[in-house]
Amino acid sequence: MSDTPIDSSKRNWLIATSCAGAVGGVATAVPFVSSFEPSEKAKAAGAPVEVDISGIKEGEQVTVEWRGKPVWIVRRTKEEVDALAKHDGELADPESKRHPDEFTPPYARNEWRSIKPEILVVIGICPHLGCSPTQKFTPGAQPSLPSDWPGGWLCPCHGSTFDLAGRVFKNKPSPDNLPVPPHMYLSDTKLLIGDDTKKA
Amino acid sequence: MKKILLALIAGLGLVVGAQASEGGFPLDKAPVNLTDNVSLQRGARTFANYCLSCHSAAYMRYNRLTDIGLTEQQIKDNLLVTTDKVGETMKAAINPKEAKDWFGGVPPDLTVVARSRAGSGGSGADYLYTFLRTFYVDDTKATGWNNLVFPSVAMPHVLWQLQGQRKALFDEVESHGEKVQKFKGWEQITPGTQNTVEFDQTVGDLVNYLQWMGEPAQKTRVRVGVWVLMFIALFILIAWRLNASFWKNVK
Amino acid sequence: MAAYREFKQISPNASATAKLTNWLENRFPTAFDAYKVHMSEYYAPKNFNFWYIFGSLALLVLVIQIVTGIFLVMHYKPDAAKAFESVEYIMRDVPWGWLIRYMHSTGASAFFVVVYLHMFRGLLYGSYRKPRELVWLFGCAIFLALMAEAFMGYLLPWGQMSYWGAQVIVNLFSAIPFIGPDLSIFIRGDYVVSDATLNRFFSFHVIAVPLVLLGLVVAHLLALHDVGSNNPDGIEIKGPGKPVDDKGHPLDGVPFHPYYTVHDIFGVSIFLFVFSAIVFLAPEMGGYFLEANNFIPADPLKTPSHIAPVWYFTPFYSMLRAVTSEMMVALIACVVLGAGYGVFKAKLAGLVKGVILVAGIVVIALMLSIDAKFWGVVTMGGAVIILFFLPWLDCSPARSIRYRPGWHKWLYAVFVVVFFVLGYLGMQPPSPIGERVSQVGTLFYFGFFLLMPWWSRLGEPKPVPDRVNFAAH
Repeated sequence: MSDTPIDSSKRNWLIATSCAGAVGGVATAVPFVSSFEPSEKAKAAGAPVEVDISGIKEGEQVTVEWRGKPVWIVRRTKEEVDALAKHDGELADPESKRHPDEFTPPYARNEWRSIKPEILVVIGICPHLGCSPTQKFTPGAQPSLPSDWPGGWLCPCHGSTFDLAGRVFKNKPSPDNLPVPPHMYLSDTKLLIGDDTKKA
Repeated sequence: MKKILLALIAGLGLVVGAQASEGGFPLDKAPVNLTDNVSLQRGARTFANYCLSCHSAAYMRYNRLTDIGLTEQQIKDNLLVTTDKVGETMKAAINPKEAKDWFGGVPPDLTVVARSRAGSGGSGADYLYTFLRTFYVDDTKATGWNNLVFPSVAMPHVLWQLQGQRKALFDEVESHGEKVQKFKGWEQITPGTQNTVEFDQTVGDLVNYLQWMGEPAQKTRVRVGVWVLMFIALFILIAWRLNASFWKNVK
Repeated sequence: MAAYREFKQISPNASATAKLTNWLENRFPTAFDAYKVHMSEYYAPKNFNFWYIFGSLALLVLVIQIVTGIFLVMHYKPDAAKAFESVEYIMRDVPWGWLIRYMHSTGASAFFVVVYLHMFRGLLYGSYRKPRELVWLFGCAIFLALMAEAFMGYLLPWGQMSYWGAQVIVNLFSAIPFIGPDLSIFIRGDYVVSDATLNRFFSFHVIAVPLVLLGLVVAHLLALHDVGSNNPDGIEIKGPGKPVDDKGHPLDGVPFHPYYTVHDIFGVSIFLFVFSAIVFLAPEMGGYFLEANNFIPADPLKTPSHIAPVWYFTPFYSMLRAVTSEMMVALIACVVLGAGYGVFKAKLAGLVKGVILVAGIVVIALMLSIDAKFWGVVTMGGAVIILFFLPWLDCSPARSIRYRPGWHKWLYAVFVVVFFVLGYLGMQPPSPIGERVSQVGTLFYFGFFLLMPWWSRLGEPKPVPDRVNFAAH
């Protein structure tokens, strides 16, 4: 290294410039990086969806779109709801204990996986690789389904099966149950999908 | 360098002489005040009640109105015209086909109208403020209305119930060798529900709102800008001293 | 394992940074040599003044345009039905989108302010003269590419000015005899400016021309560093007979790094202050940077009453409009005078005189037969092309204006005023007085360049010093 004496004014101004430059650099980067965040348009499109469930008949499934995904609302019969507990042994995660924050909000951590026992609200996308399962509500033997099939959904891509609470059967490709989206009831007949914190 | 500046100033004299004045009705100054949220909110209400029936503001989202002090509930209760979702944009109520039949064309979108009307006579807001207050009865036109700022405009006087019906009086004068109509004054035919002061206030609020809607980010822009300029001024000082600390060694 | 050449060894006690630097230097010596050649051991004259900041500023603005451009393309839609809407989407819905948009629109105008001042510096100090002619030529090519880039970029917002400005300028090509109308259709990809035109201009503006610009800028800088920078006194600081210090470095020079890096940081900070003031406080700049008419979506059925190009094109637009059939008389007279001088007065070989005579007759015949509209286009193009010839037009014994006869300064001042006046007139609607003034201005502009071999030799230059004028700071 050279043996010229250290020029302290040069050094001080170099430090000052570097600090100011770093602050300026970060401040400049912030707007550019933020522009990656979802735009107002995306947020508006992803806004919660209100659904009137009074017209859904027993045994019927209605599909609405929320954040680009299909959400199934099923009005289950009393028999179907009562039968849910019977085949717990055949399910991979009957009590929805796996990754509850991702798949089952607190108000759905029950036997019916829903707030009202008769109304199931699930996102119709198979957690395995993203295909949308087909409705198979008729119980009994059918191609690709066992003879004691209670009714539910069959995913056509890799064969995962789900019961009428959206819970996956054992030894199927999907590791998890069908996700329950955040939702709440604004009234007995008005369901809000996508938000569970509003004061109605 | 000095010689260049001197010559430039002399040249300017040449150029000012060559300028021809542009025609156009003289514009009044619009009372724009973007810090007055109450005025902006009143303007938003006037806009929703009178303008959105035919004009869209298709790039303006209803929920952006929270920037001028309204809550989402207030927006839902008072301002949603063609939708029930507060995140949607302000689309017009009118059917485009009917619009073409009634007016000869679809009424233009108004989201950035205040930015598009700026000119040598005044700002876009000045144009709109004067335009909305200079309609007059004219039987020779299809709508029954004409306008001093935009002659033969296809738009009727939407706010006529507030201002009342007025006739425009003209003098015939000679200008550049031809006879022209020179505006002389107003004659009120039937009164409106608002007097002149109140109507000017209503239109002032509406234009204030249109000015804001043209660029909702403008208040943030100026606020952030002041900080940015202060920071850069400080940086100039530091950079100047840094430069001096190196160049003092150069002989 | 043998390296292809000796690796520099470093002591095992050296710091981690020193070891990393050594590792890199052994494997990528090009980068380290480049740093020495272009920064730490590139000696630039120590007497640079205010006019010498604009080159670095141009590079900064290029970077600003590229970075803001990249982010805008994430949200912009190059479709005639969606373009205008997508720009308002950026302004309102994208977080900080308005800032990125304003930086890009202000940057476009800033680019031309900076580049015009940068070119003017070249004019003042003779930076285009031997041995720097190629630096100047690359620069002129950059200027042309920049004009194309700005023109195509302006179509993208798809406002009334975007659409009609593009329509008018592309229609100019139809003035070319025989191939003109087909050429216009070829450029547009359609019978009028349309979605097809928008898409191809988008491709050129975002990819093709920026790549060309980057290549030209690199060539411009490398060519400059090969011959060394000029300076306000116009004297060489390197070469045989030039004073050096005991290490062989030019006495009148300083290493670019750190002296001009810190100097440029200072200059850049002042630029950024002005730039930010505009971006944050007045992005429309009175309708010059963002034109009011462009806030109306493009309407192929409604022409605005007053179409004008953006301010940075208006000097050349004025010259285009100045060429009327009346102006053709003046221009033909100039060709007659020029050819006449060449044939009767100039000392040239007989063959050359013959060629001049024939060429003169052909040109005059063409000027009489082809419409003034075409010659307006030729004039406008010629006004830019003539810049390429500057190194060979300037015959003054003194390189820098500092040592030229005093009246040269007045001539340059008039040139600047004429350029500004032409620019101002280009923004106005046509008028009889405006037409006359732009015709005089156009003749002056071309006269300044074409007669330069004569006037640059007039008068006595002042004695040129051996050493640069430098006062210690």
